[in-house]
Amino acid sequence: MENKVTRNLYMIPYALWIIFFVIAPILLVVYYSFLDIEGNFSLVNYQNFFTSTYLQMTLSSFWYAFLITAISLLVAYPTALFLTRTKHKQLWLLLIIVPSWINLLLKAYAFIGIFGTYGAANNFLEFLGIGSQQILFTDFSFVFVSVYIFIPFMILPIFNALESLNPTLLDAANDLGASKWTTFRRVVFPLTIDGVKSGCQVVFIPALSLFMLTRLIAGNRVITLGTAIEQHFLVTQDWGMGSTIAVFLIIIMFVIISLTGIRKRGA
Amino acid sequence: MTNTIIQFNNVTKQYDNDPVVLDNVSFEIERGKFYTLLGPSGCGKTTILRLIAGFTEATSGEIYFDDKKINDIPANKRQVNTVFQDYALFPHLNVFENVAFGLRIKKMKNKEVEAKVKEALSFVNLLGYEQREIRDMSGGQRQRVAIARAIVNEPEVILLDEPLSALDLKLRYQMQGELRDLQRRLGITFIFVTHDQEEALAMSDEIFVLNKGKIQQSGTPIDIYDEPINRFVADFIGESNIVKGTMIEDFLVEFGGKRFECVDQGMNPNEPIEIVIRPEDLEITSFDSGMLKIEVTSQLFRGVHYEITGIDHDGNEWLVHSTKKAKVGDKIGLHFNPEAIHVMRFNETEEDFDRRLESYSEGEADGE
Ligand SMILES: Nc1ncnc2c1ncn2[C@@H]1O[C@H](COP(=O)(O)OP(=O)(O)O)[C@@H](O)[C@H]1O
Ligand SMILES: [Mg+2]
Repeated sequence: MENKVTRNLYMIPYALWIIFFVIAPILLVVYYSFLDIEGNFSLVNYQNFFTSTYLQMTLSSFWYAFLITAISLLVAYPTALFLTRTKHKQLWLLLIIVPSWINLLLKAYAFIGIFGTYGAANNFLEFLGIGSQQILFTDFSFVFVSVYIFIPFMILPIFNALESLNPTLLDAANDLGASKWTTFRRVVFPLTIDGVKSGCQVVFIPALSLFMLTRLIAGNRVITLGTAIEQHFLVTQDWGMGSTIAVFLIIIMFVIISLTGIRKRGA
Repeated sequence: MTNTIIQFNNVTKQYDNDPVVLDNVSFEIERGKFYTLLGPSGCGKTTILRLIAGFTEATSGEIYFDDKKINDIPANKRQVNTVFQDYALFPHLNVFENVAFGLRIKKMKNKEVEAKVKEALSFVNLLGYEQREIRDMSGGQRQRVAIARAIVNEPEVILLDEPLSALDLKLRYQMQGELRDLQRRLGITFIFVTHDQEEALAMSDEIFVLNKGKIQQSGTPIDIYDEPINRFVADFIGESNIVKGTMIEDFLVEFGGKRFECVDQGMNPNEPIEIVIRPEDLEITSFDSGMLKIEVTSQLFRGVHYEITGIDHDGNEWLVHSTKKAKVGDKIGLHFNPEAIHVMRFNETEEDFDRRLESYSEGEADGE
């Protein structure tokens, strides 16, 4: 039974990880969500969540996450399609992936420089004769920078899905009379939908809880659930309310994952 | 309307600076026949199909369909449909929708689509499988779906790229018969690709034997089997004994140190040639009365016949198919008729070869 023993040994790090970094935090968050600001057990946080302030915040979180995901997808799909047709595709892909290894904060600060009153973007607008604009601390800059940050995560699964598409299927569709566009609609897109789904998952879910960018780039004009959690834990010290929002965030994530559930198709 | 449906005129295909894939290929395809492109892997068979279908462009030369040049017509506008080597069925669509794909693109009415798909499926014996997913179909069934998907569009030509190579032997034999039968019932042109000479001989009206991007020989299975133009074709089509010799004069050939009467003529006196004798044309006789005398080196039992190999005193190896048995080490004689000898000249073009054969006799009329 050597095998069984070694398998159990291998399992130890995994089990420890799950217990300490997944199960325990979730239990703690759930526990804190039932404590009011004085530390007494109560449901007041859940009542508060269903007030207009928090519902509106949830709605706006969803709206921005949706915008970010949709724009990322619109840019990422054609990009991935283009990448699969270039000669040195792995190299081009790497160039797109590399920025995602750089720390988020660094990139955010870089954009503060670029979008600032005296930044490159405004210099360019001046040059065009449009004149200096307020770019930083707008919805536009928030969505733009978020899309920039998330796009590699959207491109990668779509690229992989396109790569695993049997190219003969395109010939087959063409052979049966389909134009390029019809082939895309009826064959390419349906067969890469799983890549699109996982791309949307890995963008939409983190976008729901973005908080650093909301302050640095959007100047607190955009308040998402992520921002609210941060505020409750670090500023108002209302851990209970922060945890309650986190509980809802976790529930929402699970709902999204199961809605965009990936079914395996094909032989 | 002529009977020619597809014509290649000096078509050459080359990728970048690679060696040419198709080298100045010309041929004609007639309506309603079963054609086979036969040749070893990499000789350019698929490339010819891709040129006809329109998936790739000729580097030079013209391709005609129904007397119209189609070099610049895109694949989706051509009157041909392809059965791909890996079937290329759409994994996200069920059997019905796979077959209906081409009809849907033509925006055909639902009722009509249904009737046509049913008809096509019944042609390939798959009625009742409409709602099945492709992944739940066996190899042979997928094959049939691929064929139904092609024929439902009622094309004038169907291209089949090694469609049987993935099937096991028994199913392959069965599908050979079914495909041939289907072609007869539909009455349209099939261009079938294979590297299996037996399959080509069994199914075709006409075979093109290809090697290294060139058509070596074209003709009916019997022509090609009985009268191969050169060593490559003789070797590729079935097992054969190929021996170097000399054409002493008309009707007299020398090989293995002896002179034999033959039916070939029209060559230069004492021209070096190669002769072919098929193993089933050699008969075992006693050592003394044999025209060739060999020592048996091996014998295999093949079910219908024995496959006997032996060596003559010049060192030529001879393969014999015989219902008679021999023993390794036996000295035996071989007998054959003058017609069994087929003489091949070196570097003869197909035109010259055909002209030479035609001059022999007017008795052998075309089968069709
Ligand atoms: N897209 C391509 N680029 C470069 N070479 C190719 C391409 N397609 C086919 N070839 C070459 O053309 C030759 C003939 O290929 P193919 O027609 O597929 O042969 P077959 O079907 O007879 O096995 C091969 O040597 C192959 O490497
Ligand atoms: Mg091939």
